[in-house]
Amino acid sequence: MTSSDRESVSRVKSEEKKRRGGWFRQEFGNPERRMAYYMVLPALIIIVAIAFFPIAYSVLLSVTDSTITGFGSFVGLENYIEMFKNPDFLDGLKNTLIFTVASVTLEFIIGLGIALAINRAFRGRGLVRAAVLVPWAFPTVISAVMWRLMFQDQIGIIDEAAKAIGLISNPILSSNTLMLIGATLVDVWKTTPFMALLLLAGLQTIPGEVYEAARVDGANVTQRFFRITLPLLKSTILVAVLFRTLDAYRVYDLFWVMSGQQLESLSTFVFKSVRISQLLFPQGNAAAVFIFVTAFLIALIFIKVFGMQTGTEE
Amino acid sequence: MTRRSETLRGKSGRKFNRRDFLKMSGAGLAGAAVLGATGCGGGGGGSGELIFSMGPDDAQGTMATLIKRFNDQNKGFKVTHRVMPADTGQYFDKLRTEFQAQSSDIDVIGGDVIWPAQLAANGWIADLTDKFPKSEQGKFLEAPLASVTYQGKVYGVPWYTDAGMLYHRKDLLEKSGFSEPPKTWAELKEMANKVVQDQGVKYGFVFQGDQYEGGVCNGLEYIWTHGGDVLDPNDPNKVIIDSPEAAAGLATEASMISSGAAPQAVSTYQESQTDPAFMNGTSVFARNWPYMYALAGTSDYPKVKPDQVGMGPLPVDDGNELASCLGGWDMLINANSDMQDEAWEFIKFMTAPEQMKFRAVKATVLPTRTALLSDPDIKKLPPVAQGSPAIRHTHARPVSPYYSDMSLEMQDQFNASLKGDVSPEKAVKTLQSNLERIIQQGS
Repeated sequence: MTSSDRESVSRVKSEEKKRRGGWFRQEFGNPERRMAYYMVLPALIIIVAIAFFPIAYSVLLSVTDSTITGFGSFVGLENYIEMFKNPDFLDGLKNTLIFTVASVTLEFIIGLGIALAINRAFRGRGLVRAAVLVPWAFPTVISAVMWRLMFQDQIGIIDEAAKAIGLISNPILSSNTLMLIGATLVDVWKTTPFMALLLLAGLQTIPGEVYEAARVDGANVTQRFFRITLPLLKSTILVAVLFRTLDAYRVYDLFWVMSGQQLESLSTFVFKSVRISQLLFPQGNAAAVFIFVTAFLIALIFIKVFGMQTGTEE
Repeated sequence: MTRRSETLRGKSGRKFNRRDFLKMSGAGLAGAAVLGATGCGGGGGGSGELIFSMGPDDAQGTMATLIKRFNDQNKGFKVTHRVMPADTGQYFDKLRTEFQAQSSDIDVIGGDVIWPAQLAANGWIADLTDKFPKSEQGKFLEAPLASVTYQGKVYGVPWYTDAGMLYHRKDLLEKSGFSEPPKTWAELKEMANKVVQDQGVKYGFVFQGDQYEGGVCNGLEYIWTHGGDVLDPNDPNKVIIDSPEAAAGLATEASMISSGAAPQAVSTYQESQTDPAFMNGTSVFARNWPYMYALAGTSDYPKVKPDQVGMGPLPVDDGNELASCLGGWDMLINANSDMQDEAWEFIKFMTAPEQMKFRAVKATVLPTRTALLSDPDIKKLPPVAQGSPAIRHTHARPVSPYYSDMSLEMQDQFNASLKGDVSPEKAVKTLQSNLERIIQQGS
């Protein structure tokens, strides 16, 4: 620490002492600061109105027996209890969990492989990188329709091929298990490139000197990968996997369209309850809150347990 | 950051700085706001404009023609067709959103036959009992009229009707030595399997087994033609689906797959998969609505010609009465509309015999007035000529303010039983308790 730094620290401390007498007075005593708050206030109000009010309202609805036509009375956690007894919700929860774990795991492994492969300098690297992104560029609904047609029994090429080689005996779309596998693979096809690109960006921040030094010290490929690449890539991996996990956890369009509304996920359950049913409205709200809270918990686990960095400062 | 990177160079070489840019976008936003405001000014009822909400017009444009004819009569207001989604579920969702907001925007509603009870229970549509007297009601087919009746009051006028029918390939049946379409489900299976074996047709029978509203219609048809029902006809609050008859109906539906008459994938079929399966010549029989007849021989489906296609009522289980699921649309009035009389005027016009006949002849949209079924011009239309027993034996799906919820349960169980995931007995048991719960929750 230089002497000028030390000086400034002591100056800040003494100023703090002077302004002691309540946080409020400290913040609003200074006209310039007060002005600043006034300027920020509209933005703050908008954020509260747009972001927090709907969430708070959903939570409120989920503890009442409201319907689409009227606000109901307080019923405590009854909607949540009913929700956990609803076989559709449990089915959606199970499908969503299987889908999330399976698709994110596969995407991570394949994505890392692709990232490592295209991290090297070779001819046409730019083109390969662009080509890899093509599936990701499709809107999910479009790819869901496209794959549904390929899974279909009358004209579907995949259904036909799988039947020909004896992989399946029933049409893909008539079995929920096969559809869940299909949806997982479609998601892997679609978002692996995204994962690969995020990981590639992380790989490129690792300085080449580290590898050089390791090579001089006699580290082999495996050692270099597990001792250098993975640890240095950790923060990128955490961000990428968290993004994908939260995305997969909220899966709606892929399931809804690809399975022709037969495959249940947490989000399709919310949609069905809130928009189609008349009686499941409060349960749908409870499920929406459930998704929000659990997604929040997933993010929290990543930050606290895996030590993900949320800021840029060291 | 250098100064340069913050500036944009225009074509003329003049530099735009950030402030200019903000000014420009501010002006753009203001302009958009003004446009938006004028854009909204056009709508709204009470201004001599009557809004009629309905899905897209038919391919022949009969709805537009009739609306134009009505507007040409100069009644002092103009009718505008607001096009709603073709998918009935999406349309209903949109309508529900409008009604929740107490909107008086839409005046007349073209509504699916499963809606009136749900809309009336919420007080969203006007009671038309006084305008639509008993003497006039008697001129309409029974089942469509029942669809607009809720708790003894009439909330709409039946506009056009639909009934599930059995399509068959006349030429294929003849070749295998059958002179008549099947009368019972057992005969259907037998004939389907024989024609498939004899002539190498891919499928015997296709229908709509997917988990959606159409799947409910199909499932109910099997239940009705076995003598079962969902709700007690005399007491709409009593669920009677857990009966041997209903279970036998679902068992017959599942046996279509297990006997090989229908492909396994039929559990994923909607109308849009049924059309190509039958009209490309890959299936001997099909269950579908009357509209499919018009597809034969068109440029989309040149393989199957109209004279190869026969249609008629659905088969039954031996000794039971004919039954088809009632489809179709009614005309309803928004309870909040400030143009009640004008709305009624328009409904009277659209549901008059002349207009119904026009649509029936031009677009094969089936009339709801009993007398029109014997009209010589309409009688010769194939869906009426061959399918009129089906049209006269339609059953309405359960009339309940909570039909949406009942439908979700039935979609689920019917599809599961068709796939063989649950037994028919288990499916009707589950439905019995789930539907009872819905009725209990609703009251």
